[in-house]
Amino acid sequence: MENSEQKVGKVFLVFAGICLVALPFIVLSAFSFDSEQMETAVVTTGEDDFDQGGEAIFINYDQLSREYLAGTSTERTLSDYYARRQYPGSPPIIPHKVEEADLALIECLACHARGGWSEELKGHTPLTPHPEQTACRQCHLAQTDARLFVATDWMSVTTPRLGRSELPGAPPPIPHELQMRGNCIACHVGPGAVASIRVEHPSRGNCRQCHVPETSAGLFSRK
Amino acid sequence: MGCYDDIDHADVFITWGNNMAEMHPVLFSRMLANRKTKGHVKIIDFATRTTRTSQAADKSILFRPQTDLAVANAICYELFRNEWINWDFVNKHVSFHKGKTNIGYGTEDHFKFADKAETVDLEAYKAFLEDYTPEKVEKVSGVSAEDIRYLASLYGDPDKKVTSYWCMGMNQHTRGTWINNLVYNCHLLVGKISQPGNGPFSLTGQPSACGTVREVGTLTHKLPHGVVMNEEARKMAAEIWDVPVENIDPKPTYHTVEMFRALDRGDIRFMWIQVTNPMVTMPNLNRYRNGAEKEGRFVVVSEIYPTPTYDVADVVLPSALWIEREGFFGNSERRTQHNEQIVPMPGDCMSNTWQIIEVARRMGYEKQFSWSEDTYIEDIWNEYIRFHDSPKHRMAPYNDLKAQSGLQWPYVDGMETKWRYNPKYDPAAASGDDFDFYGKPDKRAWIWLRPYEPAAESPDSEYPFWLNTGRILEHWHTGSMTRRVPILHRAVPESYVEINPDDAARMGITNGMKVKVSSRRGSVMMKASINGRGKPPVGMVFVPFFDESYLINEVTLDAFCPISKQPDYKKCAVKLERV
Repeated sequence: MENSEQKVGKVFLVFAGICLVALPFIVLSAFSFDSEQMETAVVTTGEDDFDQGGEAIFINYDQLSREYLAGTSTERTLSDYYARRQYPGSPPIIPHKVEEADLALIECLACHARGGWSEELKGHTPLTPHPEQTACRQCHLAQTDARLFVATDWMSVTTPRLGRSELPGAPPPIPHELQMRGNCIACHVGPGAVASIRVEHPSRGNCRQCHVPETSAGLFSRK
Repeated sequence: MGCYDDIDHADVFITWGNNMAEMHPVLFSRMLANRKTKGHVKIIDFATRTTRTSQAADKSILFRPQTDLAVANAICYELFRNEWINWDFVNKHVSFHKGKTNIGYGTEDHFKFADKAETVDLEAYKAFLEDYTPEKVEKVSGVSAEDIRYLASLYGDPDKKVTSYWCMGMNQHTRGTWINNLVYNCHLLVGKISQPGNGPFSLTGQPSACGTVREVGTLTHKLPHGVVMNEEARKMAAEIWDVPVENIDPKPTYHTVEMFRALDRGDIRFMWIQVTNPMVTMPNLNRYRNGAEKEGRFVVVSEIYPTPTYDVADVVLPSALWIEREGFFGNSERRTQHNEQIVPMPGDCMSNTWQIIEVARRMGYEKQFSWSEDTYIEDIWNEYIRFHDSPKHRMAPYNDLKAQSGLQWPYVDGMETKWRYNPKYDPAAASGDDFDFYGKPDKRAWIWLRPYEPAAESPDSEYPFWLNTGRILEHWHTGSMTRRVPILHRAVPESYVEINPDDAARMGITNGMKVKVSSRRGSVMMKASINGRGKPPVGMVFVPFFDESYLINEVTLDAFCPISKQPDYKKCAVKLERV
């Protein structure tokens, strides 16, 4: 005859056994992901566009998988991000090898409009916010030589400060121009986004309902 | 009847003349999240202008101003034609009524109107709808018969839960009461009401318009319970307030527009203005500003910031901002929220309520206003909830409200009511039956026969554009508070006139160019906005009203709904000129 403690012990033993068998499966499923779910497709709106391309945000939001929305990685930092730009807001250079430039080719978009993991570069592909512009390499330049022609003490302007909220916890304003960078989701959501500017609440979908651009420097005064 | 939970339950959202993405952004996000989670959810934007809501919607349908009346009737016509009527519901719970027609627009002084309901039968209603076939309505509204049938198919599909949302597009409308009735009709014919995800829903109460205006009886004809015309309601108020019943005039005085007309005429000579900025928001503003500034008028303004209304004041009383005093909010879903005083009042500020108490005491009502400054909010609440001591409208006790972030009335035995008139949720509804529309004497929900009638003023050869006015995301109403928030001011520092790109191209107007918008009443010069935040159709311009430097209400028309008395800020005729 068993006493109640033995019964409890047996139950625990069986439970531990199940856990031991199940653990590898749980771990495996947690650390593997379907790479297709981590992809997106940055979209653009047609000629009949208004509100600084606002429609693209809604369409993109709608098309993203939940896995992508929740996707995080810490591969890219803000200093990498700015290191690839001559000044904040300028087109980033191409940091990887590319074929000879041909403006008619839009091969860049095969990765940069879709995202996903690059096995070759061991990183998540950053997305372009303006896939409607297909002559990528008229602005984005590949680097072929690290040496300079002459030394320079050129310094970039200060990058926008993070956390410019009006009050603690309030939504920060948009610190950059929206021209060609109005599709918030491309740069601020997903595994390819720079960690420190990735939003924690991509499920809201209507970014500009809280984050407003700065179009003027002044304060209100009654005339 | 419903609540914000409808957003999580509905399969279809139809927004009627309503730019929710900017005006109710948090609720709109919740709607987008519902669509994203479920996949099959559809958002239909039915409006007169293309907005952010149109961008997010699955389908955007544009109608000509004022013709929402015709389209709503055409939807109901189609519901009958396709036999999509929920006869169980209609036979048991609906009755049919018609009111007066050709009811005017209230543009003249001393305008009087009282509607008269006449009960009719189903056949009369079906005969009435014969004028609203999709083909006929297409001609009036510009909405294709196909789109009208599509809208009807959404309301008519028994497997789809439908919520209709609207705000000022339907309410600031010379037939505002009618269009509200007609959208209710669309829901009543198919029984899609008072259930999770099914129902018509007016979003107008969000900031406390529901709580501070309608529920507590701040209007001339209203008491905290019932209307002044009703003897029982007067007796109840007199008893609770401890005044002779004769003190309560059974005749309402002036509604808002007529009140300002009376000030202009001199029938009113003293006015005390709190918590509103009419010298920006009154339509046909020139007349009412001139009236307020006339000799012999004495205007007191309680304000927190200098505004154009403050400019016409003879005396200014510094008020406390909502975070500087205790109080309550009541919003669209019947949720009452208590708010604590968060920061001390600066200087000589005083809450608006305490200002009234101090004046009332000096008018001889010490007994009725005997409260102390420490507990008066609680005391007023306790007095107010005596007016609603029945399961139909019971309010939550003060301590319950302090303990939680809002409670929905009717609040009965510690339980909120999410859907009214449905016995599953509403303790006031008789149990057993599926619905109990106890609000009307016949215990039925009313379908109204309301025709299409044109706007008070429509574009003509001299004034060829519709003028539509409204809000934008960044600024709350007249911007007196939001323009003082640096982030918001810097986002939208000034108002503008949105013009359709084709109209602009035809007139040689480019983005940012100064143009003059004028009507028979006034004019404003402001910058053109082409393909900006919103896009009006050809023949319409849109101007946000938040900017006191560009008073667009000097241009608008003071026509109103003869039943609700709410002015129509969305429709008048203007011309555009390059300057």
